[in-house]
This record gives sequence, C-alpha cells and structure tokens, in this order.
Amino acid sequence: MEFTLLWAAFTAIGFSWVGTRLWSDRLPDHPTDRMIGAAAGGLIAGRLVAMMVQGINPVTHPLDIVIVRGGVHTGAAAIGAIVTYLWAGKWKIANLDATAPAAVLGLAGWHAGCLWRGACLGTASGLPWGWAEPGSAVTRHPVELYAAFGLMAAAWLTSRLPWRLLTRAGTALVLVGLVRFLTEPMRLSLTGGPVGWYLAAVVVGGLGVWFGPRISNRLSTAPT
Amino acid sequence: MGQSATMLKRSVVLVLILAACGGAATSAPTVPGDRADLPATTSDEFEAHLAGLDRPAVVNVWASWCLPCRSEAPVLNQANEKYGEQIEFIGLDVQDNQKDAKAFLAEFGLEFDHFFDLDREIVNHYGGIGTPVTFFIAPNGQLVKTHSGILDERTLALNIDELLKLDS
Repeated sequence: MEFTLLWAAFTAIGFSWVGTRLWSDRLPDHPTDRMIGAAAGGLIAGRLVAMMVQGINPVTHPLDIVIVRGGVHTGAAAIGAIVTYLWAGKWKIANLDATAPAAVLGLAGWHAGCLWRGACLGTASGLPWGWAEPGSAVTRHPVELYAAFGLMAAAWLTSRLPWRLLTRAGTALVLVGLVRFLTEPMRLSLTGGPVGWYLAAVVVGGLGVWFGPRISNRLSTAPT
Repeated sequence: MGQSATMLKRSVVLVLILAACGGAATSAPTVPGDRADLPATTSDEFEAHLAGLDRPAVVNVWASWCLPCRSEAPVLNQANEKYGEQIEFIGLDVQDNQKDAKAFLAEFGLEFDHFFDLDREIVNHYGGIGTPVTFFIAPNGQLVKTHSGILDERTLALNIDELLKLDS
C-alpha cells in the first residue's frame, strides 16, 4: 500500500485552505469542504470515464474505480467538479467566481504534491535546474513544479480581477488551461496528453468571461 | 413516493447507460478458446532470455485476481503499441491458473509475450515484492529499476524514457 497520492491530495487541500484565507471575500460558508466535495465528485466522474475509455465496464467491475492510478479522465473530472460545486451551492454561479482563486491555488498544490509522489520530472533537459531520477545521469524538467508555480501566479492574477459574473471563474479556467497546455510538451506521456481538453478549457473560460457580464447586465435590466 | 419512483427510474437508466458504454468499449472476447497455455519457465531460463535480447525490456508481474493489474493493463497496452519496436514488453503471470490468466489476456488484448510463474520463483529472484510489480531491464539483461505497485502512465513513460536513454 502506498500513500503518496493521499499526501498529494492533502497538499492540494492545504493550498486551497490557504487560498480561502487569502481571498475570503464573498465565499460561501465552509468553502474548503465544498471544494473537497467538488474534487471528490470530479474524481468519481473522471475515473468512471477513464475506465470506460480503457474498456473496463464500471458495472461489472465496480471496485476498479478505487484504482485512481489507473487513470482519471481530465475533461470529465473538471466538468464533474464544476457541476458538483454548483449543485452543492444551489446552482449559484457567483460562487464559482468567489472560489476560483482558492480552487486554482488548490490545483497548484496538487501539482506541487509531485514532491511526495516522486513524479515531478518530465522530458530530458540540460538546463541548470534540471533534476535527475535517483541513479540516473539524465537531468529532466521538473515540469510539475513549473505547473505549480504557473497556477500559483494564475490564482493571484484571478484574485485581482473585478467582481463581474464569470469574470474570475472564466479567467481561472483560461489560465489553468493555458498553464497545462504550455507545460504539456515537457511531460512524458504515452498518449500525448489531453491537449484538446486544455484548449477546450481556454475556449469555454473565454466564453464565460465574454458572456458572463453581458448576461448579468441583461438580467439586471430586465423588466420585472 | 413519486419522487422515489423517479429516482429509481433515473438510477436504472444510469446503470443501463454505463453498462452499454462499458460493453461497447470492451470488444475483446472474455473467454478465449484457442489461446495456448502460458509457458512456464525457471528464473535461470528467464534470465538467459533477457540477456539474449538486443533491446531493453519492461517485465510486468501480474495476476488475473489482482485488482490494480486490471487498471494497469490498458496503460501497458498503450506503451507496447507506442514503444513495442524499441522495448521488449514481457508479462509474468504469478500465483494464477491458466484459464483465468488467458481470460485476462483476452479481455485486455495484451499482445506481448507472457510467461507463467506459479510460485513467484522469477519474481523472487529479481527481488520483487507484491503484485503488481514491474522490472525495468537494460539490454544486457541487468535489472535497472523495480517499481512496486500500480504503474500510472507518467511513471511508465518516464522509466521507458530512462531505458531508451540508457540504450542510446
């Protein structure tokens, strides 16, 4: 039994908790609990879809869902987490804006959790800050730490944005998608990584930033 | 009462959808009829086999009863498809029976060579503990690294990259 994934999850929870302390304005009650619940919802959705993509029937092999290391589908996990969060908050979209910086910081914590999992390294690199696997002479990009730093910057940037419907949440989605997209070429992968989902996040986030304030204005000026 | 009935209907529909999706994705037969038994081998023979290879090898220890092995199998399949010409993938089925082993291989379509190691003699020879465990072997047959527990995609890709760098 190994607990490295669990430590990475604790790191993510710790980072998101710090986020709720740094950016507490307009947060719903029990924000960290809500984020943990949303992450659990996303994990279940992502694992279920990954199993089906891999040809494992979740009905005939339900216990396989606990083997998280077998893979979690990025897109399904993201959608599952957002839907769970909205559902738990009675579909109040403004909660997404309030929570976005802390959630992005939590995601940074998940990537920083690579330090516990021994899974920080990506493609070979001759750069001075490259790391080598124990017993190896090949230095590599600590790509998960690049992602962690990028997401920390994204969290801070998101927290500086004005309070308009979906401006913070949409920007957060754009920045998360961009950070993952830009770091993906430095990750080692058998399948090329879910680049399409990162680009989808950028597009959907951008649409949220564009349409959110307009929808909000339309609703506020509509005759009652 | 009405709400419960609606919930029940929704649950049934969800289960049927999941079953359909899973069934559609699993196209391989679950019980093979014509697959030969996995060859049993000794640690000396296996060591000689690895030493005779002209490329690095990934030796994955699995069993049909091993839950994590089920989730690992698709990742190994992807790796074999991508790196099968540069790296020799080998499966070692341990503490198992031939019928279940063949059903497992057919279910996941693992198309690389597999050997039968009923009493874990080979695994013990290489110092592997538990199931699954994966050995990364240099082209001269020397053990480079042992990974205990389930292999995720990134870990496998990283260790394959290390083997290829070693080989070049």
